[in-house]
Amino acid sequence: MADPTCVVLKNARREALIIFATWLAATSYCCGYYYLFGTSGAERPLGSADVKPVLGIPSWFLWGVVLPWCVCVVFTVWFAGFRMTDDDLGRDQPPMGEMEASEAVDLGK
Amino acid sequence: MVALFLFTLVSLGLGVVANQFTSSKAGFLKKYFLGNRSMGAVAVALTAAVMSGGTFLGVPSTIYRYGWPAGLWISSYMVASLPILGILGKRIGQISRRTGAITLPDLFRERYGSPALGVLSSLLVMFFLTAFLVAQFKAGALIMKIVLPPSMVQAVVPPGVTIAEDQAAYLVGLVVFAVTVVAYTAYGGFLAAIWTDVFQSVVMAVGVMILLPLALAHSGGLERATQDGMQQAGDLFAFGPGPGPVGGFLPVGLAFSFFVMWPICGMGQPSTLVRLMAFRDSRTLRYSIIYQTLYNALVYLPIIFIFITARSILPALSNPDEVMPRLVVKLANPYLAGLILAAPYGAVMSTVSGFLLIVASGLVRDIYQRFLRPHATEREISVASYGATVAVGLAATLLALNPPQYLQSLIIFAGAGMASAFLVPALLGAFWRRASAPGAMAAMAAGTSTTLFLYLLGRFGPSALGLGRLLGPNPEIGAPSTLRPYYLAGVDPCVWGLVASLTAGIVVSLLTTPPDPARLRLVYDAPGQGETAPPALKGTET
Repeated sequence: MADPTCVVLKNARREALIIFATWLAATSYCCGYYYLFGTSGAERPLGSADVKPVLGIPSWFLWGVVLPWCVCVVFTVWFAGFRMTDDDLGRDQPPMGEMEASEAVDLGK
Repeated sequence: MVALFLFTLVSLGLGVVANQFTSSKAGFLKKYFLGNRSMGAVAVALTAAVMSGGTFLGVPSTIYRYGWPAGLWISSYMVASLPILGILGKRIGQISRRTGAITLPDLFRERYGSPALGVLSSLLVMFFLTAFLVAQFKAGALIMKIVLPPSMVQAVVPPGVTIAEDQAAYLVGLVVFAVTVVAYTAYGGFLAAIWTDVFQSVVMAVGVMILLPLALAHSGGLERATQDGMQQAGDLFAFGPGPGPVGGFLPVGLAFSFFVMWPICGMGQPSTLVRLMAFRDSRTLRYSIIYQTLYNALVYLPIIFIFITARSILPALSNPDEVMPRLVVKLANPYLAGLILAAPYGAVMSTVSGFLLIVASGLVRDIYQRFLRPHATEREISVASYGATVAVGLAATLLALNPPQYLQSLIIFAGAGMASAFLVPALLGAFWRRASAPGAMAAMAAGTSTTLFLYLLGRFGPSALGLGRLLGPNPEIGAPSTLRPYYLAGVDPCVWGLVASLTAGIVVSLLTTPPDPARLRLVYDAPGQGETAPPALKGTET
């Protein structure tokens, strides 16, 4: 029996998984980098000598935030521009309150 | 002042033009509250919950207080557009078309087949958006307060009334702001809100571009500003966890929380979900993701740099919420300052107009139309819509007379609450056939109550609520606020709210009766033949 699931749902599910993985990667990298190189603690106090500015920006911020930001922009343009599909979302129906679900489906028969 | 006046005139003009579009054709509700699902890519990109009063007042204030760690706090906007528009966009767009949903409660009611769920979501939207609106009204009033000439304020205060000059300026600013925004929103509806949103987004980007070189030149550069910030606020101005309470402003648990807050919670905001019902087609959606990503990079990164430099330019601000307008007034000549200040003013105005419409649509669709006048005529509905918009604006103005001290905290509270309530029901409803109405209600209730409970716990402390043995004292982290939550395990309530909501939604759905198969076919299945139109369209197309 053929899978009745509509193509829009299949595509949306696939794209949602890729987007979630992208978010997870960006979050892990930025928070991890911040924890390892941008956070001062009792065992590893950081001071003005540790700023190590690049273009005036503290190095942890440049490599831990600005760089991944640029990568995310490039990935997003590629993914949304070339990998996401154009799907037909259908046309407007009257609200179901004015038309029961079963009626709505039967209209097609 | 002149620029703000011009901006206000343009907004009112857009409202008038939008009203002509709204009233010239049939289907008032869909046009007034949803713009007839005609939003293009630029409009979606520049209006989908990207900028608000918080962007130009709360964010600068936070960066000024906490330095570079606050840059990380807001940096999840690097990856925000993809989840906010890409995860739910196609499915919400499709389901709303197939079911004819116009508002968020409509969407839930039709997907789950539960009028009670519609009413519950409508009440929750009104509750949280009112908090959001108060924050935005405060932001608008603060900007007006700074640009209004003292002579104008004095002229408005009635003789014999004694009121502090600062307070009088705030009140006059609040009234001017409220009258303007309510007028053009009530008159023009969704299209007026969208057009003003696009207009202000462009003005805002131009303002940021002008401000960045001015700020860098005036401060002596980012390195110098960083040193000044470290001298004023301590070494943690440049490093995590940032200056502030014992545990710092942004320990890594909170940093993670804000990567959940902006991109993930952003998906669950009613303003976002409404726009996902209003875009034209999926091609529009793809392009809007690209435009919004580019826009975020071009606006947010400069904002971080600009307000780091504010430590050099304005070293001792007593009220950091005013850093944006004060910096602009300090750096630019009066005409340029007016233009740049029009940007945050426009951001606040457009945010308010969008939220006003969401709350008003809930009142009209879910209370007036459903309970009071089920057979209301088009004219009665339009009068009710205008009236509801004005009433909500008036209520928000009254609440903003005495708003909480910290603008950003209010925005975060409302954002976390709405995401905890609406994101999981929307996600499960879009992707999981087994999600049932009781499951969605449980998800809403669990998410909302968890978030509210953690805020109550933060306000009164675990001991006052008899939980002293179970929970330790509130970790001394994050921004100080009258709305400070309890950071369970060092994580923001938004994360716990989503976890509770997801758990409740899945468990209760599995324990209850599966949804009506006919409804599921309409929402999930392909049309009988081909994939281009939903079943309901077959035989009805001309």
